[in-house]
Amino acid sequence: MSKPKQDEINRLLPLSLPVFHILLTLMEGERHGYALKRAISQRTDGKLNLGSGALYGSIDKMISAELIEESEERPDPHLDDERRRYYRITALGRRVAEAEAIRLRDLVRLAETHLKLPKLA
Amino acid sequence: MRGSAKVYRWLLRLYPARFREEYQAPMERQFLDEYRETQSHWARVQIWQRALLDLASSIPKQRVCELWLDLKHGMRAYRSRALSTVFAVSALGLAIGASTGVFSVLNALLLRSLPFVHPEQLVELWMPAVGPLSGRAAFTAGIRQSAYLQGAAAFSSSEMNLSGGRDVLRVKVAETSANFFSLLGVNPAVGRTFLPDEDILGHNSVAVISYGLWQQLFDGDPHVTGKLLHLNGQLLTVIGVAPASFDYPGTTNLWIPTIFDVEKVPKRGAFLMQTIGRLKPGVSIRAARELFAAEIRHLHPPFTTRMSADERNNPHITSLQTQLAGPVRQAGWALAGMTLLVLLTACANVAHLLLSRVTERRQELAIRAALGASRARLLQQLTVEAMLLTMTSAVIGLLVAQWTCTLASSFVPAQLAAQQYTIFDWRVLGFACLVAIAMGVVFGSFPIGLAGRTRTTVNSMHSQQGLRELTPKRTRATLIGLQAALTVCLVTNSLALGRTFLHLLHVDLGFQPASVVTLNVALQGTRHYGHGEWAYYSEVLQRLRSIPGVEAAGAVSHLPLADNIYMAGSFKLDSGQTMQSIVTNSVTPDYFRAMGTRFLAGRDFARGEWRRSEASVIVNEAFAQAAGLGDRIVGRRLIAPWSRTTPYRIRGVVGTTRFGGPESEGVPEIYWPIQEEPPPILTLVAKVEKRPESYLALCRDAVRTVDSQVPIYDAKTLQRRLTEALARPKFYATATSTLAFLGMLLAVVGIYGSAVYSIAQRRHEMGVRLALGASQRRIRAMILRESARPVLVGMVAGVILAVASERGWESVLGSAAGVTFWACGAAAALLVSAALLASWQATERVLSIDPAEALRSE
Repeated sequence: MSKPKQDEINRLLPLSLPVFHILLTLMEGERHGYALKRAISQRTDGKLNLGSGALYGSIDKMISAELIEESEERPDPHLDDERRRYYRITALGRRVAEAEAIRLRDLVRLAETHLKLPKLA
Repeated sequence: MRGSAKVYRWLLRLYPARFREEYQAPMERQFLDEYRETQSHWARVQIWQRALLDLASSIPKQRVCELWLDLKHGMRAYRSRALSTVFAVSALGLAIGASTGVFSVLNALLLRSLPFVHPEQLVELWMPAVGPLSGRAAFTAGIRQSAYLQGAAAFSSSEMNLSGGRDVLRVKVAETSANFFSLLGVNPAVGRTFLPDEDILGHNSVAVISYGLWQQLFDGDPHVTGKLLHLNGQLLTVIGVAPASFDYPGTTNLWIPTIFDVEKVPKRGAFLMQTIGRLKPGVSIRAARELFAAEIRHLHPPFTTRMSADERNNPHITSLQTQLAGPVRQAGWALAGMTLLVLLTACANVAHLLLSRVTERRQELAIRAALGASRARLLQQLTVEAMLLTMTSAVIGLLVAQWTCTLASSFVPAQLAAQQYTIFDWRVLGFACLVAIAMGVVFGSFPIGLAGRTRTTVNSMHSQQGLRELTPKRTRATLIGLQAALTVCLVTNSLALGRTFLHLLHVDLGFQPASVVTLNVALQGTRHYGHGEWAYYSEVLQRLRSIPGVEAAGAVSHLPLADNIYMAGSFKLDSGQTMQSIVTNSVTPDYFRAMGTRFLAGRDFARGEWRRSEASVIVNEAFAQAAGLGDRIVGRRLIAPWSRTTPYRIRGVVGTTRFGGPESEGVPEIYWPIQEEPPPILTLVAKVEKRPESYLALCRDAVRTVDSQVPIYDAKTLQRRLTEALARPKFYATATSTLAFLGMLLAVVGIYGSAVYSIAQRRHEMGVRLALGASQRRIRAMILRESARPVLVGMVAGVILAVASERGWESVLGSAAGVTFWACGAAAALLVSAALLASWQATERVLSIDPAEALRSE
């Protein structure tokens, strides 16, 4: 697979909050939709509780932008409902998530300088 | 639990098809997981609350996204067939435009409410027993006793001279009862309307002026009330200004409460008193008629004996709206019918286009179906594509409709046109969109019936057999037959109407409208009124005659084409023969010369002839024929009903003029010398050398030099009056021929497209035939035969339809439009030859078939 170009990555930035969180969660491994929702809710202390419409709307967009893809590997069908769909992050997804993180970091640095906030450890 | 799952599943159906197919199952699963994990009712209520909010925000987003995708896809697909798409879109656009335009007019005329309070309760009625002529007391008492009327108002319209502002104006005045405005529910823009007792003698020197007159005379002065006006010499006080949109009846400029005191403002000739009423709530027109008939039976004999049996049994109560729509009503429906035919023809074309597109895209559809795209998904996409086509057409249609409305406003009856109604409104926009959406849905779902079969043909995508299954021949033949039938009907009707119109153009009017200038003067309220009329008129005529280039000048009390109310009466010839319903008119010497009316016998009035002891008259040819005397009538004597002792001598016979224009018939007429009793209003007529338009200003100035205080109005060439009289038949002829041309064009393209399509479909079969030795000529003949069959069937149906529609046109035009054998034959021949030509052109493609290549494609 060819390396995604910087232009292609920049075109996708900035990411919406749900998209960024989905990417971050999928960095940890494949997840199905409901697991994604729960993980995001937990890591944001319940502040970002995605409804299924918003979640799958974001997933749909991310699949067409090739940030994530559907995984064909499934756990043992006896343990899982076949209606569940599993997703994993793509190489482009990783690069985009990193680029977004850097963008946000730069933004925070800028804000810290301007607002004279104490630096985080 | 199960109920909640069901409801949620049902709500998921609101997502667009692709998204639903992709995510319905996991979404449902997720909802259930979440639901299961909570125990309390309150928590479940919260889950529902969140779910509903989530759906409400994400469904529209997904809908827009998918619509955009489908649109992009559709545009790409149409771009590959640009020419036929442009044609189908513009054809449909024209058809939608035409039908929207016609609908707008119908809407304005028949469906839209009048700008009055509860217009459905308003009726026009004719009550000879208790009409306004019986006096105020009898009229109001009669209405009060009525079981079906809440109230009624009377009015009568006439033209009068108005002074008080800067100029003397000729204005249209409605003499009304005091309750006229309150009955209609119209409030004034400034001041007030009439008080209940203001139609009583001695209280009625007040007037309400129209918004236009307020602007013109008083520059919109808000303190206009209390200002004084002179109407035909009578002093009136302005009490209010009517709202801008109100000028009922007709184009009224001024309302005065003098209907029960008709002598108050002097005016000339006959006037028509009309009564409008407001029905009691819940009383239908039919019920009102029955109650009217019952009331008549209880009336005193002196009243009922005044009425004929017909009047007693068929009370005249009509809805005001129907009354105002008048004769245009039926024409409107007939035109709407024709436009609908064109719309159907255009629809058939678009159906053709989409049908062939589905066939062309059979591979794409089959692959998508095989990959799991549901029927709903394919239906959605095809519908969006069809909607893209029809909505674009609707936009074009709206532009066309704007133009159609402007055109149509030329034939809206004066009563409505003058009321400043905007014909084009949002309802029309709604109509256009509705048509577009309906077509989109129909055209979208129509090919899916065929596309649905793609699952079965996916394995035989490349086989010609599979292809043939997709496009039933019968559907195409039916579409062609339908187009042919509609076109023959359209063309036949337009030929018949065109012929009627041509006939009207060449009809002998009894006068020569070329190079004649006409202008009206009115003396009421001026210093000439009452005694100096003739002195003024003869001075004016002299001035006109002295203009270089004026060949003859005369005057007439009732000019043909001017839509006057004129008098008719019975006269007796010296032989004792009585002549009934003879129209009387008065003219000056030279009037006939100016009008180009021929003298068939005898001579014109000589100047000063009226001073002779034996007065002279001139009659027209129709009169002489009705008397059975022909030219021999010259020199005979005539007794008028008002002068039993002094007979008149008939001095000449002139050609019969068609008073009401080319559509009317000539009637027996007598002409008096105008000097005998000079009317206060007349029309001056001047025959000029050439280019009468350039003489209009000259003539007007010449008349003004005699007395600038006399209003001059309606200065027009006679030719223009004729054009105005012909406006309606011209509109019908133009509209129908345009529609017929459009229909014919659509049908021909449809037939051509069908033949091309049929050849493309059967390329393989033709390849086999050619390989087996069939000549290209034979194959072309076969295709022509196949194309001709549905056209011929449609043609027969079209002729039957045309003959059936004749009666409709008969009622529209007042005479038979003449759907003749000739018109039917011409329409059929036109269509068949166009169809054959189109098919022949299409079969050129047969020549390009290479048998080897056609067989290889198998």
